Amino acid sequence: MAEMVKLFVNGQEVAVEQGKNLIDALKVVGIEIPHFCYHPALGADGNCRMCLVGIEDGRPPLVPACKTPAMEGMKVLLDAEHIKKIQHDVLELELINHPIDCPVCDQAGECTLQDYYMTYSLDDSRRGVEPVKKGKRMDLGCGVVHDQERCVLCARCVRFTRQITRTGELGIVNRSDEARVAIFPGKPLDNRYALNIVDICPVGAMTSSDFRFRQRVWFLKKDEGICHGCSKGCNIYIDHHREKYKDDMIYRFRARTNLQVNGYFICDEGRLSYHRENENRQSQTRVDGGVVGFEEGIKAFRSRLDTARKPLMLLSADCTLEQMWAVKRIANLYGAGLSGYSDASVLPGDGDDYLIQDDKAANRKGLELLGIDSSKESFMAALQDADLLVNFNNDLFFSNINDELRPLLDSKECIAVCSHARKLFEKAAIIIPTASYSEYGGTIVNGDGVLQLFRKAVTKNDDPHDILEITRLLGGAIVDAARAWPGIRQSVAVLSAVQPEQIPAEGLKLQSSEEPHVGS
Amino acid sequence: MEVKLLSARFDIKDAHLLEVAKAHGAYETLDKLFTMTPVQVMEEVKNSGLRGRGGAGFPTGVKWSFLPKNLDKPVYLAVNSDESEPATFKDRYILVKDPHMMIEGIIICCYAIGCHDAYIYIRGEYTSQVKILQKAVDEAYAAGYLGAAVGGKDFRLDVTVHRGAGAYICGEETALLESIEGKKGQPRSKPPFPAVVGLYDCPTIINNVQSIASLPFILANGADAYRVYGTEKSPGTHLFGISGHVEKPGMYELPLGQPLLEVIDKVAGGVWKGRKLKGIIPGGSSTPVLTPEEAKTVTLDYESMAAHKTMFGSGGIVVLDETVDIVKLVENLISFYHHESCGQCTPCREGLGWMLKIVKKLLAGDGGREDIDLLVELCDNIEMKTVCVLSAACTMPVRSYLNKFRHEFEAYAAEKASAKPDLREE
Repeated sequence: MAEMVKLFVNGQEVAVEQGKNLIDALKVVGIEIPHFCYHPALGADGNCRMCLVGIEDGRPPLVPACKTPAMEGMKVLLDAEHIKKIQHDVLELELINHPIDCPVCDQAGECTLQDYYMTYSLDDSRRGVEPVKKGKRMDLGCGVVHDQERCVLCARCVRFTRQITRTGELGIVNRSDEARVAIFPGKPLDNRYALNIVDICPVGAMTSSDFRFRQRVWFLKKDEGICHGCSKGCNIYIDHHREKYKDDMIYRFRARTNLQVNGYFICDEGRLSYHRENENRQSQTRVDGGVVGFEEGIKAFRSRLDTARKPLMLLSADCTLEQMWAVKRIANLYGAGLSGYSDASVLPGDGDDYLIQDDKAANRKGLELLGIDSSKESFMAALQDADLLVNFNNDLFFSNINDELRPLLDSKECIAVCSHARKLFEKAAIIIPTASYSEYGGTIVNGDGVLQLFRKAVTKNDDPHDILEITRLLGGAIVDAARAWPGIRQSVAVLSAVQPEQIPAEGLKLQSSEEPHVGS
Repeated sequence: MEVKLLSARFDIKDAHLLEVAKAHGAYETLDKLFTMTPVQVMEEVKNSGLRGRGGAGFPTGVKWSFLPKNLDKPVYLAVNSDESEPATFKDRYILVKDPHMMIEGIIICCYAIGCHDAYIYIRGEYTSQVKILQKAVDEAYAAGYLGAAVGGKDFRLDVTVHRGAGAYICGEETALLESIEGKKGQPRSKPPFPAVVGLYDCPTIINNVQSIASLPFILANGADAYRVYGTEKSPGTHLFGISGHVEKPGMYELPLGQPLLEVIDKVAGGVWKGRKLKGIIPGGSSTPVLTPEEAKTVTLDYESMAAHKTMFGSGGIVVLDETVDIVKLVENLISFYHHESCGQCTPCREGLGWMLKIVKKLLAGDGGREDIDLLVELCDNIEMKTVCVLSAACTMPVRSYLNKFRHEFEAYAAEKASAKPDLREE
């Protein structure tokens, strides 16, 4: 715990962390200092001058808060007239060459410039001269579209490519009010994190070609979620909206700060993986090729399971701990084999030393913790013997390593519980549609052993059933996620004290020294 | 009135060549230098009262003493030869006429501060000057005044001539350091100050060419000999570049403390063509203008200038005669600083362009009195709200013209502009 110091803001005493810059230190106690260029991930630059605060008896008396460490006894002036005037003046200057095209700007509604204008200014414009003309709709690459006129030159994007991705595609060219963010000629953005630039841009200068003009942000419901694109478990916002007469759709994912997991950013693939939640979804229940009602499908599912001599259940490494536990229980109930074989979702060499992992499954650690066998050998052996494969959303053909398994898989009767229409499931005798991760909640353990809780974000008009619910309909005892936990706690030593509702926001780092102990 | 301390060899033919300079006393202080301790040298410079000749006038010896003691990092010296302030043309004389005086000064400074790697940062536009300077450095190396053993003593000193790419802002200490490091020349936030965290994050002293070139005289003759010239608080001599509407524009070395009008009359031949004086820019374009009335009581030293609410600056004196259109002068002035604003800080980046457009609007007859008030307000809104003082270098003189010559701006403010209806009210 860092040392706390007492200082005064507008004469009022507050206790804050020593040495932290004033923006961050005072934020903790609920005091906002307006700023454009400072970003906790990128550090202080001091160019926007919006965070200038007064230091009573200080030398110098006027300092940028982002570059000023909190010190004992400091007397910070925020509401003094001369500080308020600076905020007015800086906003007026930021706006003097700004197009003020909020009605057609994607950022409107979540724009720092707009918000600050409403909070700190509301002045009438005194612009009696022509603004500077700069580039519009510039394709910077990686789906980043730049509007130079809206830019406040805070250089967050430039610093992102220098400090975070270390690719340095962006720079500020020219001087004075002709200064602008640009790429080198013919050298567009080329990194797998570029769309974070859109998130960190405080104004509408950086927009995403994927999101542009698709939705006004104030319509979006912003729920917290966890990306299931790989085993990192990056924290995200799931921004979704049900347009009138339409279904609840996701419009974008955005990075959500979690310093223990992903820091401030997410990768572009993860960010754009929301498309998969919207598209190519399995919505129909099918039995032997014919479309049937869901209940009828479940009925057929139960009777096939009952008559199967040797059923084998296959779990996806994307499932939550609760789903895995429920399936494990149902496998016991029906005397079925259970496998978590999912090597296809590992893409060796695809990961990097930052956020992207080789393993594209969100909860492989969960399979390990619950002691579910995931080896290819045992899956192959069990599959040879089995007369029925019940596949819980495991895409064996995510990559091509299982192509040689196709004839064997085709020769077995298959029941597919799946969220998406995939080639693997086409030939299944019974297809039961199920929810995808934005439509259910639960806990997952990322590749680093951090246990995280996420909640249901999206409710479809025809809301698909969670795997948990499907196991209940098959006669299982786990009626909801909470009901899974007494069993999980009892079986897995490292999880024995976990109360899912009490998992902290940044996740719970599991002590890897303790071997998982799995009961029957 | 004129004296020849710094300019002693300026009139000697080919004094930029080592052979000639040496025949006239160059590098003679080195023997004395190495008998002294660095602390003694620093004390001598402190006692001389030499003040930074780049414009700010900060005491040179005191600046040196800000270097942290007992550091395991190297200390650097950067000699600021980015002379870019309009109306300033003193350093180029040293670079061209007597570069060895500066190199000798560099050796003295480096010995005092414990520096073994010095940079001479010369502005990009000094194309012919850099050739002479580089040749002088090369000659000094060949003669053993620079290199592994300076003057045969156990003291290494390497000097690198670094050319800028032509940016006024690179004369600002920290922008200069950024530029040497190969980055875009944009000032750094202070603190930390360069004496603690400077070039390549190491302690660094940045001194102006003329400050450095003043050192050989001080070392050879002692602090008291230097103090014979100038005033108590502004000792020594200064190279003054007098330009504008005078009969004899040029570079003159004068002791500090001389009456301004006397200098203009006696040294520069007075206002040309028998015209009347309208104003005097005392020390480069960024210093507030003096009216003829104010000029009567000003002397050429830091204290007198400050008492008259202007600055001594760089010694670049510009005389304005009665024909000067102040509004056009201000347009010229703002367009320079607007062009040279590095674009880092919001107030300077956006504000100077706005001010320029307002002045252009006035000149076009489209502006009103409210535009003059807006200009005054913008000066206040921009000044000192930025990382460096470039914005103030523009707003301080502009404010002085607006205050002292407001009637000229008002003459441009068209009546029709004031009479325009305010559409917002309807």
